[in-house]
Amino acid sequence: MLLLSRLRLRLQSLFRREALDDQLSQELAFHLAELKAEFLAKGMTDAQATAAARRAFGSVSSIAEQSRDYRGVSWLEDLIVDTRIACRTFAHAPTFFGIAVLTLALGLGANTALFSTAYAVLFRPLPYPSPELLVTVEKGVAGVGPIVSLRELARSVDYAGYLANNDLNLQLVAESTRARAAVVTANLATVLDVAPARGRWFTSNEERSGQHRVAILSHRLWRDRFHADPAILGRRIVLNEESFEIVGLMPPTFAFPTPTTELWIPIHIDPRDVGLMWGSGNLNAIGRLRPGATLAAAKAELPAVNDRIRSQFPWRMPDAYASGARAVLYAESLAHDIRPKLFALAAATLFLLLIACGNVANLLLARGVQRDREFAMRAALGARRGRLFRQLLAENLVLLSAGGALGLLFAALLLSALPRLLPKDTPRLHELTVDPTLLAITAASMVVTFALFGLAPMLRFWRFRPDSLAGRSFTPSRKSVRLSLALIGVQLGLATLLLVAASLMGRTLYALASVESGVNSTGIFTARFSAGPSRCATPERCLALLDDLSQRLLALPSIRSVNWANYAPLDKEFSATAVDIENHPQAPGAPAFVLWQTSATPGYFPALGIPLRAGRWFTNADRRGAPEVIVISESTAKRFWPNESPLGKRIRPLSNRETRTIIGVVADVAQYSLTGFPDWVDGAQYVPLAQSLPRGVQPIELTAIVESTQPQSVPGALSAILREDRSGVTLSRLQSLDQTRSDSVADQRSTAHLLATFAAIGLLLGVAGVYGVISHRSAQRTREIGIRIALGASAARVITLVVHETLFASAAGCAAGVAAAFALSHLLASLLFGISNHDPVAFVVAPTALLVAALLAAILPGLRASRVDPALTLRHG
Amino acid sequence: MSKPSDLIQGTLDLLILKTISNTPLHGWAIAKRIQQISNDVLLVQQGSLYPALHRLEQQAWIISETKPSDTGRMAKFYALSPAGREQLAKELGQWDRLSQAIGLVLKHS
Repeated sequence: MLLLSRLRLRLQSLFRREALDDQLSQELAFHLAELKAEFLAKGMTDAQATAAARRAFGSVSSIAEQSRDYRGVSWLEDLIVDTRIACRTFAHAPTFFGIAVLTLALGLGANTALFSTAYAVLFRPLPYPSPELLVTVEKGVAGVGPIVSLRELARSVDYAGYLANNDLNLQLVAESTRARAAVVTANLATVLDVAPARGRWFTSNEERSGQHRVAILSHRLWRDRFHADPAILGRRIVLNEESFEIVGLMPPTFAFPTPTTELWIPIHIDPRDVGLMWGSGNLNAIGRLRPGATLAAAKAELPAVNDRIRSQFPWRMPDAYASGARAVLYAESLAHDIRPKLFALAAATLFLLLIACGNVANLLLARGVQRDREFAMRAALGARRGRLFRQLLAENLVLLSAGGALGLLFAALLLSALPRLLPKDTPRLHELTVDPTLLAITAASMVVTFALFGLAPMLRFWRFRPDSLAGRSFTPSRKSVRLSLALIGVQLGLATLLLVAASLMGRTLYALASVESGVNSTGIFTARFSAGPSRCATPERCLALLDDLSQRLLALPSIRSVNWANYAPLDKEFSATAVDIENHPQAPGAPAFVLWQTSATPGYFPALGIPLRAGRWFTNADRRGAPEVIVISESTAKRFWPNESPLGKRIRPLSNRETRTIIGVVADVAQYSLTGFPDWVDGAQYVPLAQSLPRGVQPIELTAIVESTQPQSVPGALSAILREDRSGVTLSRLQSLDQTRSDSVADQRSTAHLLATFAAIGLLLGVAGVYGVISHRSAQRTREIGIRIALGASAARVITLVVHETLFASAAGCAAGVAAAFALSHLLASLLFGISNHDPVAFVVAPTALLVAALLAAILPGLRASRVDPALTLRHG
Repeated sequence: MSKPSDLIQGTLDLLILKTISNTPLHGWAIAKRIQQISNDVLLVQQGSLYPALHRLEQQAWIISETKPSDTGRMAKFYALSPAGREQLAKELGQWDRLSQAIGLVLKHS
């Protein structure tokens, strides 16, 4: 109650100031009148009484002032007044204000946006209860059988399994579409500690074959495809030609394992189906530490558990199977790949902010020198040092608020653009929103900013002696100049760092662009194709379907060839097989060889321009039932048979009894990425599609590789042909092979582009700083320059005079920047390709470019100074 | 006229609160009343009185009302608020303790 009335009083003091002031003066006048009446009663004359009362009362305004001070808001009023003065001051210096605010906004905006991203992606707790207990297993066991065993055997972790991005055919009334499903174990909800928004989660019975046809929809799928049907529970949908019952609906925020997941279906345990249980690695582990268990315990128990799982395989697994497994925090494993990149970008924006602060500090310093006269005047009129200091503070606050507000706007813009600028597979990007964290980060950066740009001018002020109002010329002190030059040095050092980083990324991008992928992508268009069991129940039927589609496409004049493969080169899909290789027995315990496997129709090699090095390509005769054949890549041949022909040698997939005979060797191709295969891949092999189509009820997924004289017409042609015959067949991911290649370096490209933008801004700000400092310095020294010219100094000498300090500071900063870049560039190493992180070109080009730019920025004001008219300056100076 | 004693620091608030505890008074009357009751020993300076009144008002211990005085002029009358009454009791208690303590020291040393 008391607090409330006090608050009301404060508000009154703030907003009803004039009324209160009126009251106060009335009150004091009343007192004065009473005093006078008393003196009159003592027999004084009116004039005497008035004078006596005034004398007795003392200074009315001083009492009024003191009374006002007790309103408890005087500091606020002062601040408002100071702010108003600051705004008026800035209104008279719009260029200064505009440049300062814009500079701050650029720095703050970029910094806020990237730090928010880094926070959201790397540090924000995962949106599940107690996310710090969630773990996953890297390089560990995978697949239905192994994960189910892991779930039973692990003591310290409650493990569940999931398979992300499992695209299914969803048959709707009017059309057949692709739906992205996650296949999960029934205990996933318990492990993540989540619950459906409506309906229920899976029961453990529903993992068993026969009872597994239940599905839970994502909020988005329910809304977009089922029109948010309130009676959705219990409805049946057709997925891959099987009917599933919808039993639940997840809340909109649930985005496990990926934000694009549209529905969840249970795993399907069928102990009789050995291939399904043990033959594929299509199930990953996620777990929650049990009460009292630690990550260390989870790590410690893995080897023993893995040993037991290995012995459960129906065939002998290499002793080294899953021996590299380790339990890690799930949040950590998610952010693993993107960490160096986001750190680099966040650091870049921090440098940018520092450069911006340096610029504003220099502007303020220069302005401070100009305003010495004003401050001396105000001090002479009685302003106390503290009062002047507060004025300076208010001005900086106004600058900071304006810069911060504009920066926030800029950050919001950048944040809405970032999901498009960063690669699509960046984890957790969907969680990125303009939220309170963003504001907190802006506020934090603003405090840093304020400390940095505001400190220099305030320090300068602290030494300010308002002793000489007139007579003294207001030239900057040596210290102030040195501070200014130091700032320039630091700015250019940071700009050099940014430029070196950007050059390294630019060189990487160039190196990637010039990598010979070994594939001729001109005119090639690809599409992901999926056929349900009704069309592809047997390999024969499936091949007939593919052949039929090919013939119909080839009937179009613009289509030159149609081929089918398990994946297209560079589409970032994994396709590796563990094999035994003739002449290369593995010691017991050593890991099996892993070969990258491409299954393709015979025309695949000529269509993609992959040259034959030895032997032959596949032919249509390499069909099912014929002897199984295989083609390997040149480097694989060199690695395993350096001194003999690999033709006729044999390779056996570990999950298979039959061996395949090598019939040909083709040139190397960038199948997985332009930077090569992952280090655990030992080579590449190709098998005929006809000999590798699986038999079973799973839908078949392939990539159509269409060579056309008019690639842009391919999507239309494909869709038209599928429209005639749509049942059980869908198409997705239609794009040109060039696009696929370009997407494969999205990571490096986005980093390079963002870094280049930041470096460009940094360079611009740094150079603008050089220009500003020299202009300002030469303007201050006009008189001196005039005298020097009058005494015969040449133009070159004058230019040298005004630019030499600044250029020296720039060069020193630049050198320091190069040194710092040299020390820090290993942080970028994981993003680089084709060059070392101490690439000489980047380390020469970046500082040179910066110095040239600084030189240009210095020459202009230098020239201006050399044209000073000595007569004019001597007269007016 | 001998120089009036300076008020002990902090006692002005107590005196003001006590003075207006029965009837609302304006500033002039408060000063006069304190002077009269103390037989001209305590003379409240305007320079202290008004800041003190405003401070007490901002603490919400006293509330003011503008109305005509005896002479017919408009004046600002101050009265105790309920919170002010509590504060007065508290300060009186403190004052008692302080004066007793001082008395003890003066008597026994």
